[in-house]
Amino acid sequence: MSSIKQIPVITERKGNPLARVFDEFVRFCRSRSLFILHYCTGCGAIELPPAMTSRFDMERLGIQPMVSPRQADILLITGYVSIKTLKRVILTYEQMGSPKYVIGICSCTVNGGMYWQSYATAKKLDEYMPVDLYIAGCMPRPEAVLAGLQKLMDRIHSGEANSWEDYFRNYDYYLGNQQKLFGENWQTPTDIITEAKHYDLIGEGTLGKHTQLLEQHQKPLEALDMRLGHDLKEPTE
Amino acid sequence: MMAPMELIIELILMPLVAFVVGMMMVLMMRRIAAKLQRRIGPPFFQPLYDIVKLHSKQTQISHGLIHDIGIVMAMGGYIAAETLLPVPGMTGIAEKGGIITLLYLMMIPSLGLALGVGQCANPNGSIGIARALTAMLAYDIPLVIVIFGVAYAAGTTNLVDIIAVQQAGGFETWGAVQMPVLAIAGLIAMHASLGKQPFEIYIAPAEIATGPMVEMSGKYLGGLFVMQCFQLYTTSVLYVSLFLGGGTTWFDFLLKSFLVLAIPVSIAYLFPRYRTEDLLRLMWKWPVMLGLIGVAFVL
Ligand code: SF4
Repeated sequence: MSSIKQIPVITERKGNPLARVFDEFVRFCRSRSLFILHYCTGCGAIELPPAMTSRFDMERLGIQPMVSPRQADILLITGYVSIKTLKRVILTYEQMGSPKYVIGICSCTVNGGMYWQSYATAKKLDEYMPVDLYIAGCMPRPEAVLAGLQKLMDRIHSGEANSWEDYFRNYDYYLGNQQKLFGENWQTPTDIITEAKHYDLIGEGTLGKHTQLLEQHQKPLEALDMRLGHDLKEPTE
Repeated sequence: MMAPMELIIELILMPLVAFVVGMMMVLMMRRIAAKLQRRIGPPFFQPLYDIVKLHSKQTQISHGLIHDIGIVMAMGGYIAAETLLPVPGMTGIAEKGGIITLLYLMMIPSLGLALGVGQCANPNGSIGIARALTAMLAYDIPLVIVIFGVAYAAGTTNLVDIIAVQQAGGFETWGAVQMPVLAIAGLIAMHASLGKQPFEIYIAPAEIATGPMVEMSGKYLGGLFVMQCFQLYTTSVLYVSLFLGGGTTWFDFLLKSFLVLAIPVSIAYLFPRYRTEDLLRLMWKWPVMLGLIGVAFVL
């Protein structure tokens, strides 16, 4: 990852009045072009097709679906997340490029909803990743989804929607909750701490006792080797 | 012979014009798709918003040097190709380059993508790029036959002369009127080279997660969006220069290019997608056959 380290990171601009105009323009463009990754975890996903197609047409707001986490800006969590799904959601979230936004659709993401007593679902989504916006309802209508997205657009335009920084600044908190759920050996392929250092987003809560635990058992990341077919003899986890 | 200063200005202006026109073509494509699906469609500046947004991402995830170079090649190939495509009032280096150089330059982007995607080590990307190169093999054969036919009929491989020959006698000397069979074959090959729906084998979002683009984020994806603008422009302007007599004024030049592009795009959103081998079979059968018949008429 040596090449990543060489990219200079501009953290603040001062003096130049044109820089302000430029930043404003960039913020406007960001709010007007949102690629969503709909990770359809629960029943709420069924309200997205009408919001995208001819009846409500998200594209007139500049919102369009994308298929891979790398390309997306918004992660839509549409309903309850089971513990197994949550692992994938976190991997997906960490692979997205910042600025990234998470929207929790449905009451189940707010407080567990009707799955409150279930042993297998994660109750509050914002314990595991920073959530920008909740759209409550069981399930919310497409109008509500669009209203929520417009609210997010306003927040992006005014520069308030930067909760993605929170994941770097308070990584210890989020990691702690994840470890509570998935066990102490939990590790994701994305090295958040190194990224936080690189992008100068180390906060008071980035390092703590949970990240220490992670460092104890962390396996260094290796590139996957490319080959066709599977070696069946290899032990799988 | 033109002054070197003038030439340099043209070389800078031509890709810029291509970029702006290309963005409008992307907009037109998305609007047509929206109209066919009874939606409203994106606002006027949407392609610009997308590109600015992608380039202003705060974390740029690079997979290494070759990844960076691949994207530069993908864009650079088309930028070089624009300087070989004459537009009204500007010819750039079209007279010296000729149509064969142009054909080679139009292949560079696919190869650049192949390099860049290779380093991402994503299986979806590799499948996508394998399909993209197969598709290139499929549509390049009819395209080369068509271009050979046109060049033979005009007696030159110089695009400026080909346009001049067509403009000499008004509407009747247009390539599409003189060689209608070749024009149809060219249209099919052009549709395939755009990678739009029935031939959309290498993007295939529902199957291989947009293939070559799967690991691209931020400015890398932004680069590919810019590349798409150039791709639409290059393909339609090449067709206009070969068959519709180029353009004498900017107005009829742009009108022709947009109309030509509207044909494959309107067809595209009505169809699902072929499989790779179906694409090969289809491409090597119909457009090649039509192209050969057309060439036989010309000879
Ligand atoms: S809130 Fe209701 S509709 Fe949404 S995921 Fe939960 S149970 Fe399903």
